[in-house]
Amino acid sequence: MTNTAPPDAHLARPAWLAVLARASLQQLQAPLPPTATLPTMTQVRPAEVGMVMLRGRIGGTGNPFNLGEASVVRCAVRVGDGPLGVSYALGRDKRRAEVAALCDALLQDPLHHDQLQQTLVLPLAQSQAQAKAHAHDLVAQSKVEFFTLVRGEA
Amino acid sequence: MNTQHATNPLAAGLQDAVHESQKAFRQVLDALARPGQVRTIGEALPGVALGGAMARLLLSLTDDETAVYWHRANAADGGIDTLQSWLQFHTSARAVQQPADASFAVVTHALQSPDLSHYAQSSAASPEFSTTVLIELPSLSDGPLLEWHGPGIQDVQRVGLAGLHDGFWAQWQANHATFPQGVDIIFTCGESALGLPRTTRVRRLEGV
Repeated sequence: MTNTAPPDAHLARPAWLAVLARASLQQLQAPLPPTATLPTMTQVRPAEVGMVMLRGRIGGTGNPFNLGEASVVRCAVRVGDGPLGVSYALGRDKRRAEVAALCDALLQDPLHHDQLQQTLVLPLAQSQAQAKAHAHDLVAQSKVEFFTLVRGEA
Repeated sequence: MNTQHATNPLAAGLQDAVHESQKAFRQVLDALARPGQVRTIGEALPGVALGGAMARLLLSLTDDETAVYWHRANAADGGIDTLQSWLQFHTSARAVQQPADASFAVVTHALQSPDLSHYAQSSAASPEFSTTVLIELPSLSDGPLLEWHGPGIQDVQRVGLAGLHDGFWAQWQANHATFPQGVDIIFTCGESALGLPRTTRVRRLEGV
């Protein structure tokens, strides 16, 4: 549905969708404009829970194998006659998927885009990056390098 | 918001997908078990340029493994493209260009509908692979009365379908003769649907 986004937002949309997918319900709800000021929201695809197969490669290389299934929730909404907002997220929280889809719809709307980028997407992107770096640091402390010493006379 | 949405709006599907599609499935099952009896499928969906029965049946019957053939009355039928993307969004059903490749066929202009022999006829070994043709008609009761006989009909069922072209019942006779192969038809009009399975024999009243 990239053709429904404003032209300058083509590259940004995958980025903000990724941010929205990782955010919690409270984080998403706080910066939204009050619903009374928005046109009616249509649920084009009401939030539904399904499964996806997670696939991985050992060590990041090699043949992909099926790691296991994860539940995902997805939703598609439209605000008034505006663009279609979609969301996919891990978990089963339907309300969160609705709010994330609403955020996506509003972010594609030039009226709300700039404000939401500043108040919603950028702060969340920063905190998510920090959390990821923090986790990375914690894991890196326990990293073990294996090597073999040459035994006997060299 | 802009012209793109005015020409290509993506309408909503079933709001309660599980229960509404189960209800539609039950009704269409009854419609095919009792040929000629009208069943109510459900009201029209807002923003979808199809009757309620047709739209709900498509959402209930198709999925990512069923191919749908959309009959176009003329090559520049933009409304069909909108409907195709609507159905693909909701059920992932892919569209095919040839009626012979289709699991389901959608005909909204019955007067120009393709010959029934052009649809997938399946084989004697697996007769379940033939096309199920969904035809939207202006009326299920105002046309010339015909006598239907066959499994699921006690004695005789009188049905007056309106809006079919002159050669249609000759095509149906040929289709019936290929049993166990051949297509099944579901006629819809607004909220209602009526089944014509391949086992049903149809006679003209005037010709008797």
